[in-house]
Amino acid sequence: MLSSFTGIQRFPRCINRRLLASFAYTKPSLANDPATHSTPLDITDEQRAALDSALRVDQAGEVAANWIYYGQHFILGKQPVTGPLIQEMWEQEKKHLAVMDKMQLQHRVRPTILMDFAKIGGFGLGAATALMGKEAAMACTEAVETVIGEHYDDQLKEMESLPSAHPSVPLLKEVVKEFRDDELEHLDIAVVNHAQRAPGHALLSTVIGAGCKVAIELCKRF
Amino acid sequence: MALSPSRSQLLKIATSLVPTYGFTRETLSRSVLELPKDKAHSEPLSENAVSSLFGSRDYAKKTLIEAWLSEGITQMASAPSPSLGHVLHARLSYNEPVLHYLPEVSCSSYKSDSVAEMKNILQAFALLASPERALPPLDPRPALKHVSRIADEASYISGDDSAQLSWYTRRASLATIYSAAELHQFTSPGTAHAFLDSLLTGSSALKQSVDEVQLFSSYVLQSWKGILRSKGIL
Repeated sequence: MLSSFTGIQRFPRCINRRLLASFAYTKPSLANDPATHSTPLDITDEQRAALDSALRVDQAGEVAANWIYYGQHFILGKQPVTGPLIQEMWEQEKKHLAVMDKMQLQHRVRPTILMDFAKIGGFGLGAATALMGKEAAMACTEAVETVIGEHYDDQLKEMESLPSAHPSVPLLKEVVKEFRDDELEHLDIAVVNHAQRAPGHALLSTVIGAGCKVAIELCKRF
Repeated sequence: MALSPSRSQLLKIATSLVPTYGFTRETLSRSVLELPKDKAHSEPLSENAVSSLFGSRDYAKKTLIEAWLSEGITQMASAPSPSLGHVLHARLSYNEPVLHYLPEVSCSSYKSDSVAEMKNILQAFALLASPERALPPLDPRPALKHVSRIADEASYISGDDSAQLSWYTRRASLATIYSAAELHQFTSPGTAHAFLDSLLTGSSALKQSVDEVQLFSSYVLQSWKGILRSKGIL
């Protein structure tokens, strides 16, 4: 499907947007809904620690993604073709971050102390790859979204062990699924928009992917 | 046949006996006397039983102190209102039964029995800070953990919505305020609540000033951006 902007191809979202799990946080229908305002207390210490680090990394990842798109938009925002594309993906990441901020408070998770590094690193990466050209910017998006998509997938497998009796747990799983699908959609957009034509694509993807994995491990702990 | 009381059940009972018997092994041994009628013992636990359940020598006392501190965290939720001030006052009030042997104490004079009882709670914190091995000579982590837990719980109960890094600054500020108020309580229990109020008022005035400076700075930055754009530099 071609959009009104020449050369940009998008994949239609095959999900009914009215049923998105994140609407529980962005468009709440119930005040003090236990699914969005409480955390399960009947989980073991290990499960609590795993949930804590998972949400900490997710929040840090969304912060970094926001600042990557900010950096890319800073350089390429005025381009008639690439600018609106980056803006659209950025708006989706802003929504992700708003939801993650609420989940961090809901589940009483300590945010990462490396937040400012995530912002500076994200902006630097986004701006640097954008300066290399729009294909490099798309390659950066491709690499980051690949790691994030895999990371969310791994988290969904770990969350299988959480007891589903508490209403927040199924909602958490649905939100993570939704965000994983969004990130994979960004990955597809980047590939369709010539990410693989970027100069030194293989090296760029490897370095960015490795950097993301290091960041994930650091944010889990700090 | 009734189930044996659990260790956690006995610890919870022991925390309610602290105002009477202090942070001692005797408190732990007497916890079985306060069980429900069908499980209550006629005699306190023996020293060996206390050691096997709660640890030997000072380790048992540390266990009791930590249980008492955890119970203090739980009690914060029963403050008359979820406002930050009420919650912190409730936590300060939780200390009072352990200080109840103290009359109005001035800074320069102490009654001998008051000194013994005030030493009770100070020794509790000193025991927590003493390391299990020789080094370091003093372990600040239990004290930091104590005030951090209180600050986190107070923020949660009062509905604080600070996210990302302001989560840390908010809790650090509350931990500092509470620890100053608690230290004040040890030397001057009668004025502790007023001291806490003065610290909270000062802190919110400081935060307001910082927010206003940030807002003004953002206006100045915006106006400079506009000037630079109009000159064609940006």
